[in-house]
Amino acid sequence: MIYVWATDPGVRRRGESGGAVTALLKFALEEGIVDAVLGVKRGADLTDGRPHLTADPKEVEGMAGSIHGGTLLLSKLFGKYLDGARGFKVGAVVKGCDLMGIFEQAKRGEVDRNNLLLLGLNCGGSIAPSMMRRIISEAFGEEPAAVTKETIHKGRFHITVRGEHKDLPIREIEGAGLGRRENCRRCKLKVPRGADLACGNWGVREELVGEVTFVEVTTDRGRDLLRRALEAGAIGIASPEGPCIKARKRREDLIIGLSNEERERDFAPLEGSRDRMRAVIEETARCIKCYACVEVCPALFNTTGPYRTSFPGLVPPGLEFHLTRYAHVADSCINCGQCQELCPMEIPNARIMHAIATDLQELRGYRAGEEGSKPAVALMRRPEGA
Amino acid sequence: MIPDMKFVATTCPYCGVGCGLLLAVRDERVVGVEPWQAHPINEGKLCQKGRYAHQFIHSEDRLKTPLIKRGGSFVPASWDEALQLIARRLSSYGPEEVFFLASAKATNEENYLFQKFARVVMKTNNVDHCARLCHSSTVSALAKAFGSGAMTNSILDLEEARCIFVIGSNTFEQHPLIGRRLVLARRRGAKVISADPRLTPTAKEADLHLPIRPGTDVALINGLVRRIIEGGWEDRGFIEERTRGFETLRETVMKEESTLPGTSRITGVPEGDIEAAAEMIATLKPAALLYSMGVTQHTSGVENVLALANLMMLTGNIGRPGSGVNPLRGQNNVQGACDMGALPNVFSGYQSVEEDGCRRRMKRVWGVEELGEARAGITSTEMMEILADRPGRMKALYLMGENPMISEADQNRVRRALDNVEFMVSQEIFMTETTELADVVLPAASFAEKDGTFTNTDRRVQRLRKAIDPPGEAMPDWEILSRLARAMGYGKEFDYRRAEEIFEEIARATPSYAGISYPRIEDPHALQWPCPGPHHPGTPILHVERFATPDGLGHFSPVEWRPPAEVPSEDYPLILTTGRSLWHWHAGSMTRRSESLDGEVETGWVEMNEEEAEEMGIRDGEVVRVSSRRGKIELPARVTSEIKRGVIFVPFHFAECPANRLTNAALDPVSKIPEFKACAARVDKLRGWQHPRGG
Repeated sequence: MIYVWATDPGVRRRGESGGAVTALLKFALEEGIVDAVLGVKRGADLTDGRPHLTADPKEVEGMAGSIHGGTLLLSKLFGKYLDGARGFKVGAVVKGCDLMGIFEQAKRGEVDRNNLLLLGLNCGGSIAPSMMRRIISEAFGEEPAAVTKETIHKGRFHITVRGEHKDLPIREIEGAGLGRRENCRRCKLKVPRGADLACGNWGVREELVGEVTFVEVTTDRGRDLLRRALEAGAIGIASPEGPCIKARKRREDLIIGLSNEERERDFAPLEGSRDRMRAVIEETARCIKCYACVEVCPALFNTTGPYRTSFPGLVPPGLEFHLTRYAHVADSCINCGQCQELCPMEIPNARIMHAIATDLQELRGYRAGEEGSKPAVALMRRPEGA
Repeated sequence: MIPDMKFVATTCPYCGVGCGLLLAVRDERVVGVEPWQAHPINEGKLCQKGRYAHQFIHSEDRLKTPLIKRGGSFVPASWDEALQLIARRLSSYGPEEVFFLASAKATNEENYLFQKFARVVMKTNNVDHCARLCHSSTVSALAKAFGSGAMTNSILDLEEARCIFVIGSNTFEQHPLIGRRLVLARRRGAKVISADPRLTPTAKEADLHLPIRPGTDVALINGLVRRIIEGGWEDRGFIEERTRGFETLRETVMKEESTLPGTSRITGVPEGDIEAAAEMIATLKPAALLYSMGVTQHTSGVENVLALANLMMLTGNIGRPGSGVNPLRGQNNVQGACDMGALPNVFSGYQSVEEDGCRRRMKRVWGVEELGEARAGITSTEMMEILADRPGRMKALYLMGENPMISEADQNRVRRALDNVEFMVSQEIFMTETTELADVVLPAASFAEKDGTFTNTDRRVQRLRKAIDPPGEAMPDWEILSRLARAMGYGKEFDYRRAEEIFEEIARATPSYAGISYPRIEDPHALQWPCPGPHHPGTPILHVERFATPDGLGHFSPVEWRPPAEVPSEDYPLILTTGRSLWHWHAGSMTRRSESLDGEVETGWVEMNEEEAEEMGIRDGEVVRVSSRRGKIELPARVTSEIKRGVIFVPFHFAECPANRLTNAALDPVSKIPEFKACAARVDKLRGWQHPRGG
């Protein structure tokens, strides 16, 4: 574990926490360690995160800075649009859900993990853009367009508005019915240790907050990148103190504890098999069969083939449409929330699928989204003809 | 090789909801659609048409070069050759001999230029578009009742309603991302009522379904109005302060046919349900009304909308969040095409072609000395009538992205009309049943290949952004029109290099758009008109303080029920109603080339009641003949309990079994909208037809 910061003052200013992630990605691109970088770029305002691929180191700087309102998932973009990163190397900045999704896609042959350089970001949860606007206007009483910066630190949501700093406890915001996405509240992968480096600000000594990034080195590739960047003078490093490492662990444990409570609350109504089936039947009755839940699911192949044969054209589709998908995802649901967030009919897909997967994972001792391990029951062979 | 990859934020080209999406572009090809979560209307969510909106763009059979018909078949031509030919031919016609059919699929910039071309170059007001076929009755009726013919509220405030009355709209399938707002409103405790002859996905998710007989809307609404007055639930304060004409409304609904038994007899809706609906609409405040083609596409279309305006004024449901009269516009830019003056009676911003002040303003903006006569032109449906039945008067037809062979009522008559055109030009992205009949076909750019703006159903002016170049020699409609105008000697008046320059002119010409500019609508929230000045925040809700009528009051307009132009008879015992499938769009040129959509629904069908099907010995999936007095089609039956006895439904997208070969072109006397939603028809079993599964 190590403190890292960018040496370039411009990068330090534009990035979060000393700009370490931006500096490392820029360095990787300049040195040809990767051919391109996939990340999230700010669109119209700071709630508008859009995927962005670039081979230009200068553009990487433009992608710096946190966007908690960016709720997109990068995992499937490789298989859908980038030939599964075969033939070139891509550096990407990933949250826990992006990372778990990449592993699930890699297990299905949709992306070549070996060609990815993954810089993980600690993530306590993200917020949908419309919700972000509500938080700013309802909880802070500010005009969303006037906010120039937002960040989450030590359980508090911070905004900068007209040069002024304001913050509120997340618990208070969420108590008022606002806050993070439902799936994020249940998430337990807060430090993405499956990436090549896991980066964040949890545990950073108070006077260094905003100046350095706390980096956990998790793979040889990550170690290599750090070493080369240091030798080239792109980054500076320091050792964190023991109490800071402990503080970081406490922070992580605290959030995981909250996630366990959220799981209990969300899964309780789906506990009994009858209750669960009733929820499925009632909630899916308004499905318009748009295929979003299939298209965006990182535990599924990049094809809609197996689901199109059921009930062509019929709206709502028969229950089989959903049950087939549940069976195919089974224990591989990583709770990324995309199937729920992008459902035009507000079907709580992720809640149901996460409940099913959590049971299966506990019974079979499998944890989706972790490198190497194979699921026990999910569909793992690409459907024929698809 | 590292792919060149970008994600372009733009607006969905299909329905009037106006969802935002990101086009995924790899190496100059649009390869997918990704969610744009920051867009306020859909928050990244899309229906299947939006999700697969990219699939037709690179179809092999896109039009890539101008085509001129020679000796009965099309021959590729250069732009110069094609434009010179069009210029020469158009110059030979007088203003009364030409007709310009604009398109609710094209951008505001293109529709604005199209009507400008008709009015400046050809000096004619004979310009119209497909709004004639969808909401012309809304525009006429709401202009009379409220002084403005658009959706009064916003998609975003629907959630605040405590009651939502949906009539003649299958919102879940036709405007899915507004359907979502019904789900959200219900989650907050709102009650939803759906009036529809079919138990649609929308009706299934409603708290109360009123299975109305097609063409009896006024009877139902008058029945509700009477019950509300009898219950003493009318909003007296609102009626007194904000409206006039209530007494005549009361008198009208006091007739026997508006009693509960009378209403039930005419509409087929049980008395108890009428009573329950009346109480919900009047007592759960605020209440919002959503309606669509099921209301407007009747010979009584204007009266239907007037009746609904009466109902919402009676209950004080205008001018506040969660209330309002909300016509859901069909096409992505049908609101915009109307706003831009692609109509025979108005310039952009509904400025009358007959008023001196408006004419002076347009001459000034356009820098021209004269315009055509100060008299409204004819409507597109009247144009068809003239061409079909009184040929000779109308000679030339200029179309931009319209396919009337599939979308107009009574196809055989449309064919006769188009055969009688002397010279016909069509700007299109694909060959269609209509372009086949043209003399010159010009290749246009698709939504992914041009910049511009669309105005959605809640009056939100949103950006369309260019992602790739058009294929071959195709070019955006605005560029085609500019070039043609130059070829006809109007280079100065049509000198544009970018779509934005046209928009700047629109803002100068159109008071309700005056404060809108491209930089201001970079934010995905965009701006809702009226937006009269550069610092005006736009107008999410209309008629908050006063109505847009000259006296500022809402006008009650009592109407009486009359049956559709054609009612069931012994020979044609069923009522045919038509509509869309969730999987397809209108004449199908885009969706039927989209594998994920066409692969799911490959052809049309006739939906019929299971009891009636059984009586006729017709099984689900069996190919049957459906006929009306105007023609016949053969297509599979979809046998279901979800449609009323005596009613059949056929979607209109499919050229091989076109519903509009059967529909009745009888027009509403005011708005000239055809009666797509009710005509007399019959279903016959085909002799010798064997069910593929045997038996």
